[in-house]
Amino acid sequence: MSDKNIIEIRDLTKIYKNGVDVLAVDGVNLDIKEGEFLAIVGPSGSGKSTLLNMIGLLDTPTSGTIRLKDVDVTKATPDERARFRNKELGFVFQYHHLIPEFSAMENVMIPLLIAGKNKDVARARAQELLDKVNLNDKLNNRPNQLSGGQNQRVAVARALANSPSVVIGDELTGNLDTKTSNLIYELLRELNRKLDQTFILVTHDMHMAEKTDRILRLVDGKIVCELKRQGDGFIESKVCDLGEDNGKIRRV
Amino acid sequence: MFELEVAKRHITSNRRGTAFTVLTVAVAVGVIIMSLGLTEGTKNQIIENTVEKNPHIVLGPKQNEGYIHLYRNIERLLSSYPGAIAVSPRLVVQGAARHKDKVEGIELVGLESDKEERLMQVQGNLLAGNFSELKFKKKYAILGVKLAEKLDARPGNDVYIYFRNNSAKVSVSGLIEKGTAKDSSLVYISLKTAQNLVGEGDVVSEIGVRMEDYTEAPVLARDLEPTTKYNVESWQEFNREISRFIGTQNRINVIFYLLIFLIAGFVVANTTIMIVRRKTKEIGMLMAIGATRSSIMEIFILESLLLGLPAGLLGILVGIGFAQAIASYPIDMSSAASGVTMLMLDLRPEFIIYALIFALLLNISSAVYPAYLASRLDPVEAIGNE
Ligand SMILES: Nc1ncnc2c1ncn2[C@@H]1O[C@H](COP(=O)(O)OP(=O)(O)OP(=O)(O)O)[C@@H](O)[C@H]1O
Ligand SMILES: [Mg+2]
Repeated sequence: MSDKNIIEIRDLTKIYKNGVDVLAVDGVNLDIKEGEFLAIVGPSGSGKSTLLNMIGLLDTPTSGTIRLKDVDVTKATPDERARFRNKELGFVFQYHHLIPEFSAMENVMIPLLIAGKNKDVARARAQELLDKVNLNDKLNNRPNQLSGGQNQRVAVARALANSPSVVIGDELTGNLDTKTSNLIYELLRELNRKLDQTFILVTHDMHMAEKTDRILRLVDGKIVCELKRQGDGFIESKVCDLGEDNGKIRRV
Repeated sequence: MFELEVAKRHITSNRRGTAFTVLTVAVAVGVIIMSLGLTEGTKNQIIENTVEKNPHIVLGPKQNEGYIHLYRNIERLLSSYPGAIAVSPRLVVQGAARHKDKVEGIELVGLESDKEERLMQVQGNLLAGNFSELKFKKKYAILGVKLAEKLDARPGNDVYIYFRNNSAKVSVSGLIEKGTAKDSSLVYISLKTAQNLVGEGDVVSEIGVRMEDYTEAPVLARDLEPTTKYNVESWQEFNREISRFIGTQNRINVIFYLLIFLIAGFVVANTTIMIVRRKTKEIGMLMAIGATRSSIMEIFILESLLLGLPAGLLGILVGIGFAQAIASYPIDMSSAASGVTMLMLDLRPEFIIYALIFALLLNISSAVYPAYLASRLDPVEAIGNE
């Protein structure tokens, strides 16, 4: 992990206006360092997905700014945002959303082909990534020929395809059993260490969150607590409202 | 071109949707091919039935002149055209005929029977007599069969014919049945006899021309008029009704094709919308990994476009098959007075091109709206996360 901020979020606010206004994200300020392994936790409806989708340029903030690698991406056009998503961001969702007609290999190749890489380069890169997620023997399997955990690993490989600055994962193990979830988190941890890959992961599960280096707790769209890894445990920020998670966290 | 890759995969994986779209477009194309072929066939048959019963071109006197004076020169000029296979000068006047106490108005046609035979194959319509005799027998006349009936005249009878103050006695040498209204007014005599009766010297009132290919007639007519100063008309002009009928038919067909286009377009668009619905999450994910809106649009348009060619080709086969099946059925249309007794199929090569263009246009235009919808999906909503 370097000292360089890869993401700087200032006063980020999202208000949904569907008849009634819903303040989903409320003036969030957050810096994320290159190579960080970060978890966002919080109760349902606290704004975790909304925050993540704005960081992932899938959603636009109502106000505030997000700087990605020193570029204010909140002002980007739809096509520029598409290019950022392709080159600088990787996504893993609760469901893998792989294209069912494509093999594991072909699914991983798509972001590379969108980026304009030729097929041979894309194929080589896809093979390398599937090897990294331990699926080198399943290259030609289609999603329906793979288990949930394997598909999610293909999705991770796809997220890494263009060596993005940040990989974001929203409940990416939400659909998997504990054992498989642990394996996926260990894989992400390993990728984080080996590739210095930045990860921002939203999860309900404190056990998963504890595998990261920093945990942010979001309540009603606000960051109410920040926990930083120190050795095997975590230290809390000065002000900290851990709500129902209080006591579940190993302290230093 | 990952768009093409994805589009191809959609097609091969979604067999039912693909089959549905291809069949819809194929049926539309088939109906159009069939209609084009049958319309063209019927049109050609009507034209042949009527046009071939008339000279393809008729050249008349110059403006303000009653007759063509130097008709031999013009006859020579017309004969020199490569496409002209028969040229026949005629002197046509309105007169009367009397047999015993019966008098009838007639259309008197003076002609040179050998030339006229080449122009109109008159002999085939004769019930009695020999058309070529008119050339040598100055007092012979051939009467329309109905006229002869009204005059109560039979071959061998003498009949008096009148033009203004002149008259001549001719002998009925034959009867003609054309199957038209002319049968009750027509009298054929030799050109010389007619000229003597009319008393204007060596003149004719029109020159009929037959072309190797009747479709060339309108062009030649347009050519001739300014150079010769004579009034030149082709079958297109004096058979206005046919032209009008064909024109109306074409307009009706165009409306018909537009309706087919619309109906098939809606069906294809609907199928494509269903595909887009089913692929919503995939579209969201493609957007998340960087596909632009135009790429998403391209995928669905390509998908439809790729089906256009096979659908068009299949449609052509279907259309030809149906058209041939229909054309092989004899139908009774004799009452239509067009002489058409069977639906004829005439598939011109350009129809195939039209059909393919139709299929491609149909597929592109019916994919545009669904593809646009797909490209405007909100990635967050499309992916969902339930
Ligand atoms: N498209 C939307 N329109 C209106 N309100 C929305 C929309 N999306 C989210 N919200 C609201 O915004 C708030 C934050 O939602 P969000 O999905 O970010 O929560 P979350 O922390 O991800 O919850 P969960 O843990 O259940 O996934 C909620 O109150 C939610 O109802
Ligand atoms: Mg959520």
